[in-house]
Amino acid sequence: MTVIEIHNLKKSYNPGKLAVNDVSLSIQKGESLGLVGESGCGKSTLAHCLLGVEKMDAGSIVYNEEPIAHANRKQLRNYRRNVQTVFQNPTASLNPKLKIRDSLLDPYLQFKDDLQLKHFHFTSKQDFVQQLLETVELPKGLADRYPHELSGGQKQRVTIARAISIEPKLIVLDEPTASLDVLSQGAILELLGSLQQTLGMSYLFISHDLAAVYQLCQRIAVMKDGELLDVFRKEEIYDSNRHDYTKELIDIF
Amino acid sequence: MSVLALSQKRIKKAKVWLISIILLIVLAAVAYTFLYLKHDANMTDVGNRLASPTQAHPLGTDHLGRDVLTRLLLGFRLTVGYSLIALAAAVIIGVPFGLIAGLRGGWIDRLFMRIADGFLAFPDTVIAIVLSGLLGPGIGNLLFAIVLVKWVNYARMVRSTVLTEVRKDYVTIARINGLSTFTIMRKHLLPHIIGNVLVLASLDFGKIILLISSLSYIGLGAQPPTPEWGAMLNESRPYFQANPEMMVYPGLAIVAVVLVANVLGDYLRDKFDVKKEVQP
Amino acid sequence: MILAIEDLTVSHGEKIIVDKVSLTIDKGEWFALVGQSGSGKTMLSQAVGQLLGPNLKASGRVMYEGDNVLEHPKEKMNQLRGKAISYIFQDYHGSFTPFLTIQQHMEEYLQTHSVQKAQRKEMIREALESVGLDASFAKRYSFQLSGGQLQRASIALALLLEPDILIADEATTALDSVSAHRILSLLQELQQKTGCAILFITHDWRHVVRYSDKIAVMKDGKIIESGTKQKLVHQPEHAYTKQLIQAAPTLPMRVMEVSKS
Repeated sequence: MTVIEIHNLKKSYNPGKLAVNDVSLSIQKGESLGLVGESGCGKSTLAHCLLGVEKMDAGSIVYNEEPIAHANRKQLRNYRRNVQTVFQNPTASLNPKLKIRDSLLDPYLQFKDDLQLKHFHFTSKQDFVQQLLETVELPKGLADRYPHELSGGQKQRVTIARAISIEPKLIVLDEPTASLDVLSQGAILELLGSLQQTLGMSYLFISHDLAAVYQLCQRIAVMKDGELLDVFRKEEIYDSNRHDYTKELIDIF
Repeated sequence: MSVLALSQKRIKKAKVWLISIILLIVLAAVAYTFLYLKHDANMTDVGNRLASPTQAHPLGTDHLGRDVLTRLLLGFRLTVGYSLIALAAAVIIGVPFGLIAGLRGGWIDRLFMRIADGFLAFPDTVIAIVLSGLLGPGIGNLLFAIVLVKWVNYARMVRSTVLTEVRKDYVTIARINGLSTFTIMRKHLLPHIIGNVLVLASLDFGKIILLISSLSYIGLGAQPPTPEWGAMLNESRPYFQANPEMMVYPGLAIVAVVLVANVLGDYLRDKFDVKKEVQP
Repeated sequence: MILAIEDLTVSHGEKIIVDKVSLTIDKGEWFALVGQSGSGKTMLSQAVGQLLGPNLKASGRVMYEGDNVLEHPKEKMNQLRGKAISYIFQDYHGSFTPFLTIQQHMEEYLQTHSVQKAQRKEMIREALESVGLDASFAKRYSFQLSGGQLQRASIALALLLEPDILIADEATTALDSVSAHRILSLLQELQQKTGCAILFITHDWRHVVRYSDKIAVMKDGKIIESGTKQKLVHQPEHAYTKQLIQAAPTLPMRVMEVSKS
């Protein structure tokens, strides 16, 4: 079953130069798709269009067989509830003035009326926050802390907990490990992998690190200068018909 | 711990003591005005003018034989009350304006910024003098002038806070989640604003007291026989050489209240800075 | 041996950040110092060039050409930096002021080290060319360059006077892995050409595996394991080293290659 389809997406910031040029992709239920490329290749722009942060110039995003451009209020709300995100910089992703518990509860409080959670159970705010912290392997005592009291890796775990708190169908991971130190990077990748096992959502994992993408994803897409060059299954990475640029990337790692 | 940090800690401690002592005196005085006020602040007794302290008049009497302590204490209520009113009005007008300008941008923001620039081109005191000069002397006009001058500060501060914060990822994520502008304001932006507003307000509180008093002193604010401290200073001017204490009492009162306001501002700033505990 | 660090300790008040570290770097060698943020690796590298802030104190010896660099007076150290020891940093934007062109930066650098005016222009052209930037970049300002280009320019600047040691402090951390790789292979190429030693400070094990000759692993201010690349990659002894190797994701082919060699 397809969770989301992107058809011929185009986006440009400067006239004459397309940041994303005619990209089509689809993500299946429970699948993680890796999107690899250098900085400036358009992968983050694509994510921003998907999340509705940027308006696309042309193309369509289809969710639940419905282009979200034509979605009514209710459908749009349903889309937002099912597409969550984790950004690169965990410090910027958490409001420094809010306790961890309040940041964690943000999506739940927003969507609580149309949620039917399977994995988590909401009995009280306190209990819900504890379930979330436990799921991302953080000590329960962190609920009442402020973000600056946590390490980078811990903060990123909090933003992951926030994204999974409403059991979305898709999480857009925009370079979630890029600003962490090596040991935290590995741990976060492992956590993301095991969360997918238990919760069964799909990932769009955006990264410049082909090896990290390889570790987490079943399918890999390669972008360069706004264009989608290559999409392949993980097992096919060493096939001879890979794009030259993909081979160049493989050679680096 | 370095010597510097140690001495800073001591200063902090001293400040807390100072603020407590002054507040205690003030509270006692206020309680006194409500419980034991024996004299009418405007009752003159020309036969007993410029008297030295006695049991009946603990701080003596002024040039019209009025009880100085009574006037001083009523003045506290007036001066503090007026500046609180002016402050509240400035905050109530300034904060929403700043929020809207920062969040909406566009022409609203540009219009607002030009107005703010206009006000900022002149010092507060000058605008207040001009306005109350134009509208005529009187405490109501003076308060109006002060609000007109002060709201800009709040609006600007709130706007700049909003502008820095809305660009951050956590606001983007809140938007992706479909949180309404109002919820983002209330839940995510207000905690950033509230501390700053309180700190600015407590510092402004002192400034407004000074402004009211100084404008009353030059005859543009509270008019005699209102026992406002600035007006009292003004009235006692001719008797300065023979009875300097008539100027000293209201002067000291102004200094004490302004000092408390500033210390309170410092304290609030520390309190609202959640990062203060972290040492690098 | 070009540089020997002996019992180097860096402290901040009571707190010891680098704890009696000793290591030697040979001529023309790529020496990798690996560790997480906060391990003290940056402080160590800055102590070598007397770049530490005023509240940090370095003791021990850093021997270069028979002298203890730490005891050099300021003027002598200024002469040494650039000619003998030069740096490239993670924050490539911070390495250039936005008010000067790349050329002006280099001119200033050469002037400080009293290079004749006649030679400067040619040297700058050659330096830029060696890092793959054409002459037109000389006239540009730092903000007109991309991250990768800017880091190339800072390498050109650092190698202008052919130093004996280049200290690269997380030089590729702020770049994406593709640009990082290009910068590193450029460095390797330049190292072979000029014969300068590189003290390469990083947290990314993958960069270490590919480029370095010798490796030291640093944790909490101490070097916990060091040796040749062959030894550390194939027979790491310390648990922390193993952890670092494990944490870095790799493609399966790389694993095969390593086990073959």
